[in-house]
Amino acid sequence: MPLSTLMQTLVSGVMLGCLYAFVALGFAMILGISHSLNLAHGEIVTLGGYIGYGLWAGSGLHPLLLIPVAAAALLPLAFLWHWMLDRLPAPRALPSLALTFGWALLLQALMRVLWPGPHRLISSPSLGASTRFGWVTLNHGRAVVALAALGAIGALWLAVTRTRWGRAIRATGLDRDAAALAGINVYAATRITLVLAMALSGAAGVLLATTHYVYPTAGVELTLLAIVLTIWAGVGRLLTVLLAGLLLGIAESLTVAISGPAWREPVIACLLLASLLARPPVD
Amino acid sequence: MLDVRSVSVAFGGLRALRSVEVAIADREIVGLLGPNGSGKTTLFNVVSGLVRPAAGEVWFGGVRITGLAPWKIARLGIGRTFQIARPFPRMSVFDNVLAGVTFGARPASRRIDRAREVDRLLATVGLAEKASARASTLSLGETKRLELAIALSTRPTLLLLDELASGLSPKGREEVIRFYARLRERGLTIFAIEHSLAVLNEVSDRVLLLDQGAVVAEGPPRAVFASRELRAAYLGDE
Amino acid sequence: MRGAALVATLALLPPLIGFHPYYVYVLSTAFLFATLATAWNLLAYGGQISFGHAAFFGLGAYGAALTSLAGVSPWAAIAAGGAVAVAGALLIGAAAARLGGAALALATLAYAELWRGIAQNWTAVSGGGAGLVGIPPLPTLAAVPLDLTRGHTGSYYVSLAVLAAALGVFGLMTRSRLGLALRAVREAADRAALLGIRPITWKLASFALSALLTGLAGGLYVHMVRVVEPDLVFGRFFSIVPLVMAMFGGLHSVLGPTLAALGLHLFSELLLHPVAPALHQLPYAVALIVVILYLPGGLASLAKAPRD
Repeated sequence: MPLSTLMQTLVSGVMLGCLYAFVALGFAMILGISHSLNLAHGEIVTLGGYIGYGLWAGSGLHPLLLIPVAAAALLPLAFLWHWMLDRLPAPRALPSLALTFGWALLLQALMRVLWPGPHRLISSPSLGASTRFGWVTLNHGRAVVALAALGAIGALWLAVTRTRWGRAIRATGLDRDAAALAGINVYAATRITLVLAMALSGAAGVLLATTHYVYPTAGVELTLLAIVLTIWAGVGRLLTVLLAGLLLGIAESLTVAISGPAWREPVIACLLLASLLARPPVD
Repeated sequence: MLDVRSVSVAFGGLRALRSVEVAIADREIVGLLGPNGSGKTTLFNVVSGLVRPAAGEVWFGGVRITGLAPWKIARLGIGRTFQIARPFPRMSVFDNVLAGVTFGARPASRRIDRAREVDRLLATVGLAEKASARASTLSLGETKRLELAIALSTRPTLLLLDELASGLSPKGREEVIRFYARLRERGLTIFAIEHSLAVLNEVSDRVLLLDQGAVVAEGPPRAVFASRELRAAYLGDE
Repeated sequence: MRGAALVATLALLPPLIGFHPYYVYVLSTAFLFATLATAWNLLAYGGQISFGHAAFFGLGAYGAALTSLAGVSPWAAIAAGGAVAVAGALLIGAAAARLGGAALALATLAYAELWRGIAQNWTAVSGGGAGLVGIPPLPTLAAVPLDLTRGHTGSYYVSLAVLAAALGVFGLMTRSRLGLALRAVREAADRAALLGIRPITWKLASFALSALLTGLAGGLYVHMVRVVEPDLVFGRFFSIVPLVMAMFGGLHSVLGPTLAALGLHLFSELLLHPVAPALHQLPYAVALIVVILYLPGGLASLAKAPRD
C-alpha cells in the first residue's frame, strides 16, 4: 500500500471511529447505569437517522440543525425504557436482552412500514464538498460528523466527571444500593442517564445518516458494534469508548482498503465473539 | 487414606492456609476445630477440588488429587456437606439425592436399583415421606438432613462434614452423635468440622486445631480442648 | 394417554379431509416452528439461553441443500444437514463453555451473524447472497399411497413426524440421566460438580441434541421451499422465533412451546399476513415483550396452580 493511501485510510479510520464511538455511547451508558443490555440500540439509532432524514427531506434545513429535533423525538423511549427496566427482576442482563430483542424486531417492523422502499441518505450538498491537504483528501461531511461526535463525547465526559448529577450517575452505576444509602436519588440518576442515552442515540443516528445509508435492519450491525466497543472499553468508561471506537474505525478502514468491503460484517461478528470469550461484560 | 501435604492457599494477600499437613487413616473419624476465618472451610474446599492450592499436594487413596476437577474428586469417593445446606432448591427431594446416586462413585447400572438407593438414603435421614416435595419447601432441619443424604448419595468413602451439630438442641445433638456412630459402622472415613467438645469427645478419634491457616495442635479431643493453643486461638492470648 | 391419541389422530386429518393446500402448507411450517421451539427449549433446559439458533438452522439448511444438490437422496441430505448443525453447535458450545446467561446469549447471537456473513461471502460454496436454487423436493415413498407423500401433503406428514420425534426426544430427555444432569447444572453448576456431574459434558450434549433437531428442521425446510439464502436461514428471524415460542409457551415445559408455536404462527400467517404483510413478524416481537414484562413463566405458568 502506498504511503498516501495509508495516510488517507488512517484519516478515514479516525473519522469513522469517532462516529462509531458516538453510536456506542447510548448503549454503554444504559449498560453502565442499569446493568441491562439494550439489543434494540442499533434500531433506536437507525430510527433517529430516519427521523433526521424525514425532517431534512421535509424542511431542507441543514442536517446539523435537525440533530436536537431528532434527539428530542426519541425522548419518549427513555421513559418507556425506564418503566420497563424497573419491572425486570435482578439480575437484569438476560431478561433485558430478551426484552430488547423483541423491541429490536418491533422497531424494525415499524420502520419497514413507515419508510418502505429504497435506503435513505441525508445527502446535503453542504456536506458533500471536500478539501485536499497534501496527500489526504478531507470530506467535509465526514469531518463535521467526526467533530460533532468528539464534541458530544467531550461534553458528556465533562458533565459526568465534573457535575454533581454526573457523580450521582457514576455512583449509581457502580453500586446502586450503596448510592441509595448515601442519599443519592438513584431513580432520578437512572432517568437522566436514559434521557441522555436516548437523545445521544438519536443525534448519532442523524450524523450516521449523513454518511451511511439507513435501512430498517441497519441497526443490527450498529448494536454489535456498540457491544464490541463497550467490551473493549470496559463497562462504565466513557472516554475509553472513544479510544475503542478509533481502534475499530482504523481497523475497519484498513481491512476494507486491503480486502474490500465484503467481509466487514462477519469480521464484526467475529470480533464480538472473540471479545465476549476473552472478556464477558456481564455474567 | 487422605494425605494433605504442606498445602498453602492464598486469596490475594491473605494467606488462608499455611503448609497444612493432615493425614487421616482409613475408617478414622477426625475432628477439625478452629475459630472463624481459621481456614477450616478453605481446607475442605481444597480437598473437594473447589479451591486449587498455591502449594502442596493432596493425596486420596493413593491418588494425587491436587488440581483435579471437583466432579472427578467426587467420583473418586469424597463427599461433603456445606455448613449452610445447599440442595437444588427447585428440584424434588428425590431428584436431589438421585443426582449423586446417578453420577457419583460406582453408580448402579439399573434405574430401579438407583431409585431404591435413593429411597434407602432418604429413609436413613428420615425424609422418606418428603421424597416428592420441592427442596425449597423443606424446613431448616429437614434441609440439613437432605444435605446429608446428598453428601452420602455419591457413595463416598471419605466424608467431609461441615458443622453438622452446630445450632442444634441437645436432643438434636444426640441424634447427630448417633448418626456419626452409624456412619462409622458403615466403614466411612470422616473429617468433620465441629465446635462441641461433647460431640467431638463422643465421636472422634482425634482432633486437629487450625489457627490462622496453620495446624497448631493435634491429639485426643480432651487434650486439645484443654490445650494452651486452643485458648490462644479463641481468646487471642499469647 | 387417550388424549394424546386423539390429538395425534386429529393432526393426521387435515390433508385427508381436503384442506386447501395453502393451509396444509401453513400447518406444516407451524409444525416446523414448533420443532424449532422444542429444540431451543432443550438447550434452555440446562440453563443455556440461545439468541442464535439461526446458526444451527442455517447450517442444517445449507448442509442439506449442498448434499442434496450433489445428487444424494434428500433423506440422507437432511441427515447430513443435522450432522453439520451438530458440528457447528459443538464448536460454539465448547468455545463458550465458560460463559453463562447473557454473555452466552450474546455469543450465540454473534455466532449466527458470523455464519450469515460467511454464507454471504463464501460464494464458491454457498452461492453468496443469492443463495442456492434448484433443491429437489422430498421424494415420494414407494410403500404408501402417492397422494399422502407428494407435495404439500408429503411435507405436512414429514414435518408432523419430525415434531412428534422432537417432542418424544424432549420427553425422554426430561426423564433420563441427561435431564437430571441438566436440571442440576441449571440450578447450581458448582454443586452439581461435587456430585460427580461434569457440567461441560452435559451442556455440550444438550447443545448437540438441540442443534441436531434444529438442523434436521433446517434441512427439511430447504426441501420444502427449495431455495436457500443466507439472510433467510441465518437471519434473525430463525433465532428469535424459537426463543419467543419457547419463552411464551413456558421454559422447561414439554408442550407449552409447541402450543405457543402453533398459536403464534397460525395467528401471524392466517390472520395478520393477509391484512398487513409487512407486519407478520410483529406478533413474535409483541409476544416476547409481553412475556418478559408480564408473564415470566410463560403460558405453562398459567396452567399450573401457583406454587411456593
